[in-house]
Amino acid sequence: MLYIHQSYCISPQQTFMNVDWNVLHEAMDNKLKVVEPAYENIPRNVLRRMGKSVRIGVGAAFPIINEIKNIAGIIIGTATAGKEDSFTFLKQVMDYDEGLLTPTNFVQSTSNAIAAQIGMLSANKFYNITHVHKGLAFENAMFDAAMQLKENPQHDYLLGGVDEISDDDFNLNNLAGWYKKEIVSNKDLYESNSSGSLAGEGSAMFLINDKKENAAAKVVAIKTLFTKDEEEIKQQTKELISENKIDVFISGENGDNRLQRFYNACESLLEEDIAIVHFKHLCGEYPTTTAFATFLACDILQKQSIPNIVIKKSTDKTSFGNILIYNNYQGEQHSFILISKA
Amino acid sequence: MSRIFITGIGIITSIGNSTEENRVALMNGVCGISNKTKYPSKYSGVLPFGEIALSNDELKSSLNIHDESVTRATLLSVHAFEEAIKDARLSSKEISDSAFINATTVGGMSETEELYHDISATQNASPFISSYDVSAPTVFMQKHYGIKDFANTINTACSSSANAIMLGARLIKNGFVNKAIVGGVDCLSKMTINGFNALQILSDEVCKPFDADRKGLNLGEGAAFLVLEKEEDCANKKIYAEVKGYGNANDAFHASSISDNGDGPFLAMQTALDVAQLNADEIDFINAHGTATENNDLTESRAMLRLFKNVPRFVSVKANIGHTLGAAGVIGAAYSALSIAYQEVYPALNFKNKIEEPGLVPNLQYEQKSLKHVMANAFGFGGNCTSLILSKV
Amino acid sequence: METVELKEVLKKQIIEFLNLRDLKPEDIKNAEPLFGEGLGLDSIDSLELIVLLQREYGISIKDPKEGRKVLVDINTMADYIEKNRTK
Repeated sequence: MLYIHQSYCISPQQTFMNVDWNVLHEAMDNKLKVVEPAYENIPRNVLRRMGKSVRIGVGAAFPIINEIKNIAGIIIGTATAGKEDSFTFLKQVMDYDEGLLTPTNFVQSTSNAIAAQIGMLSANKFYNITHVHKGLAFENAMFDAAMQLKENPQHDYLLGGVDEISDDDFNLNNLAGWYKKEIVSNKDLYESNSSGSLAGEGSAMFLINDKKENAAAKVVAIKTLFTKDEEEIKQQTKELISENKIDVFISGENGDNRLQRFYNACESLLEEDIAIVHFKHLCGEYPTTTAFATFLACDILQKQSIPNIVIKKSTDKTSFGNILIYNNYQGEQHSFILISKA
Repeated sequence: MSRIFITGIGIITSIGNSTEENRVALMNGVCGISNKTKYPSKYSGVLPFGEIALSNDELKSSLNIHDESVTRATLLSVHAFEEAIKDARLSSKEISDSAFINATTVGGMSETEELYHDISATQNASPFISSYDVSAPTVFMQKHYGIKDFANTINTACSSSANAIMLGARLIKNGFVNKAIVGGVDCLSKMTINGFNALQILSDEVCKPFDADRKGLNLGEGAAFLVLEKEEDCANKKIYAEVKGYGNANDAFHASSISDNGDGPFLAMQTALDVAQLNADEIDFINAHGTATENNDLTESRAMLRLFKNVPRFVSVKANIGHTLGAAGVIGAAYSALSIAYQEVYPALNFKNKIEEPGLVPNLQYEQKSLKHVMANAFGFGGNCTSLILSKV
Repeated sequence: METVELKEVLKKQIIEFLNLRDLKPEDIKNAEPLFGEGLGLDSIDSLELIVLLQREYGISIKDPKEGRKVLVDINTMADYIEKNRTK
């Protein structure tokens, strides 16, 4: 069983170290950008080369690697790490017509830079991997982590999900129709009734192991699907809610009216007393938002209360045991994560 | 726990469009690296590359794929995947129930001209607009083959596809799937050509792995896939080799070079031996990473000397096909599987003088040889090192 | 350009090129080693500095050994630039 013991999240909201759900930072130009900490613990000579995803990845991992030694593996999900460096390097290649070029952006352009940098900073020579399967990158990382715990019981692992917005990647996704054409405030995200969402970014890191004692939460199930058929999503939802008594449903709805049918299909199956929560007005849309949702679920389970800012439909329940997260990335990649009280 | 067997192989590289063509070329010491390349880079004709002769149009027509959005990375993947699933005689139901794990470092970003246009365009996106992502070849193939269950893309730089094999094997061992189709792809790209050139590690002649006078690496392109199945499902099937061990370790030293003593490579090989429950002296042959850079060959040699009292025979196929980056791990593993299946070892090319300090000499001749356990190494930027052990069944 | 002035310009260029965001030009001493102990730069930085010399001063260094002689500290870089610059 995968138990989450610590969680840290750098997001566009006040979620790092002093979590405060009462303030809503607003989107600018349809982008929700992270609030970056000062990174006081990261050597300056290392920090200068890091792209944003590496900074926020290392930043959120630092409290964990600083405290827990002998972590048996670093398992990261990311779809966009290194993209800014890739595009900066590409522009250099084209602008200087393949002339004499500087290598730093190229070296930093591979997606594994986050896991690698965390490994380097903590002198961790064990399992180190980066899952990059777009909207399921974090789920696949979590799945890998769960298998590692089965194979190597009694070990600690670092699990994380990280993505960045870069101007160029924003432009590509915008051109492909994934962001809203009109400027929309994140306060009005769910009422926008148009295609596309707001761009977001963030990093969430978890210390996990197979020990129940003092755990913040446990991950009971991870399911991923690849489909455009909402019946399949309904079927999977039915299975999960019949096997587990759900108290809170965390919906990945993102204000894109083309994708709402999947979320509606799930919600239509929920019992009346289940609280419904949404979160993308806080972090925006990006491939590993379920890492943010997992952080939120841990927060709800630990505090036994749901922050007002994420409530879509409230409940009379006063204790929360099982939380089901459902997310859909760009219409085809779907995931369910069931998180429960430890 | 079940043993895991390799029952299908598909390979495309600069020395052949199929597994059989690759094997024959390896046996005959064929080098696919040359200055006569078509890829539209300033360095075509100037630096040698291991380019696959088939053009995108030829690949499209042979694969009957006519989607404008398909990049070369996807075409090479589909080509190798097709061969692997036919080789293992998988039904379409078996394919759609398999785990599918692809690995790449550049993915669709090899279409540099279009990408350069699209990152700043406000309209008129190129047909590749949704195909640049490293996961794009995987997603295309999920649709193409109706793979609905577990699909994944891994990027750990040049060890990516070795990790795809490791993950596939673990998924089967843990009982999540019965079969896994695992591999990787990378094609020539202005990004990697100019990136490695900026690091001054591209050789201007055909590379010389483990040679004292090595001048750097040559980039190549390629794709390979393996079909992994549980022993119970392999009755009456052709079996190339067993996936016996795997080890993933991090060098934790530098973003683009390996530590002096090769800690990462050493730990990856050691872990693979532990998982396989083998002693170092039971390894009969090694398909080394051997990129022919100053740093890699020295540190990999040192790591081998640390692990083995007598270093087994070894070879780096980088002198045949160049460094295929994300595909290098699975191609090395596929060649190792062929070595085991046919009980033969392939010769190292371009080797003249050993590096003084480690003093290691790679295997120089084709030979029929009794092989039980073969190791395959793949190391990448970020210190990501993975070692695999394949064994005779 | 006077040597003193050149050194100041060079320091600014190095800071910008290598993204040494916390440093000011006066923090870099002329005789302080760029690599290892002093500024703590590494092999990738040396490749970056070779590109800096090419782009800013039209100097092309092909031989890595020559690069190692030039890229010792600010003094050696400035000397080399004065003697070899083409722009």
